[in-house]
Amino acid sequence: MKILVPLKRVCDPDNANKVKVSGDGKAVTSEGLEWKPNPFDEYAVEAALRLNENAAKNEKLGEIVVCSIGVADVAQTIRQALAMGADRGILVTADDGALESTVVARALKALVEKEKPDLVLMGKQTVDGDSNAVGQMLAEMLGWPMATFVASISTSDGGKSLNVKREVDMGVVTLKVTTPAVVTVDLRIVSPEAVKNGATPDSHKYNEGPRYASLKGIMQAKKKKIDQLELPALGSDATPATTYPRFELPPARSGSCTFVESVDALVDKLKNQAKAF
Amino acid sequence: MSDTLVNMRDVRFVLYEMLDVEQLTKYEYFADHSRETFDIALDAAYKLAKEVFWPAYVPMDKQGVSLDTANNKATVAKEMHEIWAAAREGNWQGISGPAEYGGQQFPGTISAAVHFIQNAANTAAHMYIGSCAGAARLIYSFASEELKQIYVEKLFTGQWGGTMCLTEPQAGSSLSDVKTTAVPAKDGDYYLITGTKCFISNGDHDLAENIIHPVLARLPGAPPGVKGISLFVVPKYRVNDDGSVGEFNDVITAGFEHKLGLKGNFTATLSFGDEGKCRGWLLGEANKGLTYMFQLMNEARIATGSQATSVASNAFFHALEYSKERFQGRRITEKDPTTPPIAIIKHADIRRMLLIQKATVEGVFALLAYAAFVADKEHASPSAEERENANLVLELLTPVCKAYGSEAAYDAIIQAIQCYGGYGFSEDFPLAQMLRDCKVFPIYEGTNYMQAMDLLGRKVPMKGGKGFQALVAAATKTVKEAASIEQLKPLAEKIGAALKIVGETTMHLAGIAGKGDIELYMYSSATYIKMFSPMVVGWLLLWQAVVAKKALEKGAGEADVKYYKGKIETARFYINHEIPHLEANAQIMKSNERTAIDFDEEWF
Ligand SMILES: Cc1cc2nc3c(=O)[nH]c(=O)nc-3n(C[C@H](O)[C@H](O)[C@H](O)COP(=O)(O)OP(=O)(O)OC[C@H]3O[C@@H](n4cnc5c(N)ncnc54)[C@H](O)[C@@H]3O)c2cc1C
Repeated sequence: MKILVPLKRVCDPDNANKVKVSGDGKAVTSEGLEWKPNPFDEYAVEAALRLNENAAKNEKLGEIVVCSIGVADVAQTIRQALAMGADRGILVTADDGALESTVVARALKALVEKEKPDLVLMGKQTVDGDSNAVGQMLAEMLGWPMATFVASISTSDGGKSLNVKREVDMGVVTLKVTTPAVVTVDLRIVSPEAVKNGATPDSHKYNEGPRYASLKGIMQAKKKKIDQLELPALGSDATPATTYPRFELPPARSGSCTFVESVDALVDKLKNQAKAF
Repeated sequence: MSDTLVNMRDVRFVLYEMLDVEQLTKYEYFADHSRETFDIALDAAYKLAKEVFWPAYVPMDKQGVSLDTANNKATVAKEMHEIWAAAREGNWQGISGPAEYGGQQFPGTISAAVHFIQNAANTAAHMYIGSCAGAARLIYSFASEELKQIYVEKLFTGQWGGTMCLTEPQAGSSLSDVKTTAVPAKDGDYYLITGTKCFISNGDHDLAENIIHPVLARLPGAPPGVKGISLFVVPKYRVNDDGSVGEFNDVITAGFEHKLGLKGNFTATLSFGDEGKCRGWLLGEANKGLTYMFQLMNEARIATGSQATSVASNAFFHALEYSKERFQGRRITEKDPTTPPIAIIKHADIRRMLLIQKATVEGVFALLAYAAFVADKEHASPSAEERENANLVLELLTPVCKAYGSEAAYDAIIQAIQCYGGYGFSEDFPLAQMLRDCKVFPIYEGTNYMQAMDLLGRKVPMKGGKGFQALVAAATKTVKEAASIEQLKPLAEKIGAALKIVGETTMHLAGIAGKGDIELYMYSSATYIKMFSPMVVGWLLLWQAVVAKKALEKGAGEADVKYYKGKIETARFYINHEIPHLEANAQIMKSNERTAIDFDEEWF
């Protein structure tokens, strides 16, 4: 199967408390923060690797192309995914500030038309903007089937369709999607038995979480290709659909604390004082 | 709990802005590398350290290790097995090993940074990993082709574990008293080994299918003292012709130490040849064992400084975070007791203690990275002159890395605990464990007094003082540069003066040696290393301040401005607080202080 995995770099979520709003309130500033691959995108890379390998025989079964839209430095984020085992990268250069969901979805649509993957596997959302929109927009633009918040995948019909389990508020929804499709993944997609591809024995248990880049993988990644493109060359429109007039931080919490005598007292306070429900 | 192990901004500053390690990729040996492979490797190391090594830090201390003597079976914590598997999958055992033997051939400077990160997360765990490369390199450098083929790749890939076996009950600091014997076998190319080694780190475990012991032992009729010591490769299990693990090689684990710290590491007493069946293979030439072992020991000494300082780094970030969260007292100028208490970091004395830690961690990390960088040049530079120069400086800095690194780090952790107040004394926080873990570093790999003697007795006078001169020349260059920057001028003057004082004191001591008072000369070495080390670290921090100042002048973003300003002020703090002690120590030596030499045992 040929899989396209879009990947975004985000400010290290562990440093979220250091994110600031610029003086004029026009932007969220990330200056001086460490960059990390968006965790959900890393899970998508891991899921793609699991779909496209026979883990017992250490064999590759298909191609994984990782793409990112962002500044030139993002090449390193792509390289990290290549070090994990993806085959090839595409970097579409654009300003960090320009990465609004519709712009990204349109660029991805152009890439999909160019690359013709069987599956676009992506994170359900990025942890910076938390919009949770690109996957849905992309599927709509392509007119492809879509499954979001996917926590497990098993292939059937020789990879022509995927049985997925989606995590939703009321429980788990099981769906069958035919490829080509857009699938967005949730945290549990990287649990030990979340991906079954018919090649790796069903009894195989992966380690929890995305695999760590090995040094060997890092040296191999250096030799893998990353194509560079620009948004206009993709024929993709870079005008955002949403603009943000102003950002402000939520008011600081007072930090006061009161002790309650009983569960009933707590429920009462939550209901009547905090109006939590 | 803090989740910063190491300041990666500072690591990158040292590697790229101060040392410019990218220049190493010009050497053919490192030509496959680039800034990008370095960056990705550092990120991957940090991620693994934080997610896999660090969560096991406290559990491994609590659990310790165990031994089933009836079945000669050693067991380490299950968390350690997870770390080992992850390290093998990531090829971390072989990070700096040569590619032809399964290594990844990264520069030692990068692997020094990686080890710093892994040690900061879990130093007892990292020892198992680091010891593979230690044994591998020893065999790779000195053994016959045949032995290399059998062992090196399996060690660099972590298929087998490694150790270093020097210490015996009667031969700790004094290796000339090693008694283990090696008798040539009648029926083969091997020797029969008999003897006991104690305190052997990573000495036994269930992480790998075999453990390879480089063992110091004596051949029959070997000359007494260090000139009669040879080095043998002794596997726990013999190796079959096809490379697979064979018969048990009569290496019995007689017990393990119940220690103050590093409890997750298996410190074994090993009994070789109880049944007369322990086979060893001579590594290199007979009677040259200690010379060979010194290669491993020199690396291990620098690594010991790294172990200590990285733990201090972790402790520092804990103290820093705690100091922002603990509210206590009011400003000295605030007289109103109804005002809310302030975070303790607002007290200057807390910031003083944090600065001691920051300066120690950053200063010694710079020293360790510089030593590794010099070692890379010694190894890979095409210029014979550069290689020789590098060797001299490395030899000189090795005891400083080990002794100063281990002592300053221990002191820094004490300051971290002090920031915590009573909570620092509680085992509910990891600081107490960090202090316990760190007490061994001034002891093993040659006690710090052995380092002091090495510095003054061997390294400073080596080759007519050439290494010392090269170091002073490098430092003088920095001093000159710093003196031309108004803000750094007072610091430059202090380091300039320190270089002069150290030079004069060295001459004074040389005079004592010249007069034949070797006892006073060596006795002074403990004070000498205390004087010498802050000169080196002060110089490196001044160098950093120069780099930071230039970067500020070029223009930097908001976060970088803070980092660079902090860097300059950290250098100022260290130089203002530590360099004056250097002068006091010089006075002690210049006064020919010898009370302890003359103090009668009966007077205690
Ligand atoms: C946790 C741990 C792990 C270890 N791992 C290893 C290992 O992997 N491999 C290995 O071979 N060894 C290992 N060791 C042993 C370690 O290297 C020795 O403990 C160390 O070299 C000191 O030897 P000793 O304990 O016999 O002390 P001693 O040599 O008895 O020293 C006691 C004191 O006397 C001082 N002293 C000794 N000789 C002199 C002298 N000539 N002049 C002045 N003062 C002197 C020392 O400085 C020290 O303060 C380990 C030790 C520990 C605690």
